[in-house]
Amino acid sequence: MPLTSEIIEIVLLSLFVSGTATVLAGLAGVPLGTFLALGRFRGRGLAMRLTYTLMGLPPVLAGVVVFLILSASGPLGRLHLLFTPAAMVIAQTLLVLPIVTGLTSVTVAGKDREIRETALALGATPRQAATKVLVEARLGITGALAAGLGRAIGEVGAVMLVGGNIAGFTRVMTTAIVLETRKGDYTLGLWLGLILLVVAFLVNSVFAGLQGAGETR
Amino acid sequence: MRAATRNPGDVLEAAAAPAMALACVGLRKEYAGRAALDLDRLDVPGRETLAVVGPSGAGKSTLLRLIALLERPDSGELRFGLSAAGPISAEAAGGSTATGAPVDPWGNGWGEAGRVTLRRQMGFVTQKTVMFTGTVAENVAYGLGLRGVPADEVRRRVGEALETVGLEHAAGWPARFLSGGEAQRVALARALIGRPSIILLDEATANLDPANVGIIERIITGQRQRGTTIIMVTHNLGQARRLADRVLFLWEGRTEYLGPAVGFFSGSGVPRARAFVAGELVY
Ligand SMILES: Nc1ncnc2c1ncn2[C@@H]1O[C@H](COP(=O)(O)OP(=O)(O)O)[C@@H](O)[C@H]1O
Ligand SMILES: [Mg+2]
Repeated sequence: MPLTSEIIEIVLLSLFVSGTATVLAGLAGVPLGTFLALGRFRGRGLAMRLTYTLMGLPPVLAGVVVFLILSASGPLGRLHLLFTPAAMVIAQTLLVLPIVTGLTSVTVAGKDREIRETALALGATPRQAATKVLVEARLGITGALAAGLGRAIGEVGAVMLVGGNIAGFTRVMTTAIVLETRKGDYTLGLWLGLILLVVAFLVNSVFAGLQGAGETR
Repeated sequence: MRAATRNPGDVLEAAAAPAMALACVGLRKEYAGRAALDLDRLDVPGRETLAVVGPSGAGKSTLLRLIALLERPDSGELRFGLSAAGPISAEAAGGSTATGAPVDPWGNGWGEAGRVTLRRQMGFVTQKTVMFTGTVAENVAYGLGLRGVPADEVRRRVGEALETVGLEHAAGWPARFLSGGEAQRVALARALIGRPSIILLDEATANLDPANVGIIERIITGQRQRGTTIIMVTHNLGQARRLADRVLFLWEGRTEYLGPAVGFFSGSGVPRARAFVAGELVY
């Protein structure tokens, strides 16, 4: 049975890995989703469908792909990243990116026309109008990030494969739950699960706080 | 960018309204191969209040969106008697190039920056009111923020604008949860705060209770007295009669009647217009 300090370590690593993955996915996914929503280019429909399909990407599959890329004989094998937190971040970024991109494009496309035209009619330059569209989509984008983080922090397939569940190094909440349950310690598995839920709740409360700024109902 | 840093003082004061505020020449807009609007000629003198009426789908909103430069015409031309340089003569607005080039915002030499400059001299209240997130005051202040007006002047003018529409008590309310009438009045304040010399209103009083209709009509009358040019789409014929100098009656995108309001309501020679006034046209 892990010590309290071990549990804290596990929780912190979970937050670090999934948080970093969400930040990276956000940095790429928010602009990408905006571009998908507002851009006028050939193949846009195809790109949308691809994004929506990848939103349901099974974590294990993301894990296998990253595993193959990072394994000794893979294209990035020389970096020796397999079974490190960095590998876990890469796999989860892959998992979260389509979610952030897809949800951002939905939220931006939903209201872009009327917001944009209202802004233009009030004297905005095209750039000022685009900024207004993004600001107005802020709620939806925060929601997209929250959904991405929730997906990352709760998945086990990818982190297990590329992280290896090494105690004190790559063990996170979900992989710890799997391990304890396999060992027959269902009680501890449940407790860890409960901690996971509480952490997820706290994270979502932070996002809700971000969304609520300036808008109360 | 030129337009982004333009001094708000460049916005024409209504008192300096040009003889010709705007002219539409052969203006045509199609959707899916069907003409939503096909105007021969529409001249709007400065200080005029023009009511645009007609059945639903007649092209009223399309006309306003074209004038507001939110839509590009498929053919034809818009000429504005406003410009960054100041009012131009009626003759120039009418198409003569002898006294100065007419301002054709989609023509050569007028980029997006020029269109922004023109839009900033117009106030448009769209058919569907869109409130931004944030407070009523923030919504009203938006246009001034774009123009780089200093904060203390913004505060003063927002206060004035809200007072004009009778909503000074609502400055801190979240704008997206306003009632229809309140939102419409905020939209009006938001459009008027830039002191436009042309106001475009698309069914500004549709679906409102008589009290709110009264308030908005009083604001329009106030603007009229300041000498602002007003183009208003309305389904309320009583309102057109009360406020307008002239009436443009559109029918399937074309001008069916364009002339004095008095003539329109006292029975013009145009059968469809007569039927429309009598309420015999289904719309
Ligand atoms: N963005 C658009 N796409 C396709 N058709 C449009 C669009 N906007 C307007 N229309 C069509 O153009 C015609 C005129 O519309 P509109 O100007 O909104 O009429 P009104 O405001 O007089 O009710 C209608 O038949 C409408 O369906
Ligand atoms: Mg309309």
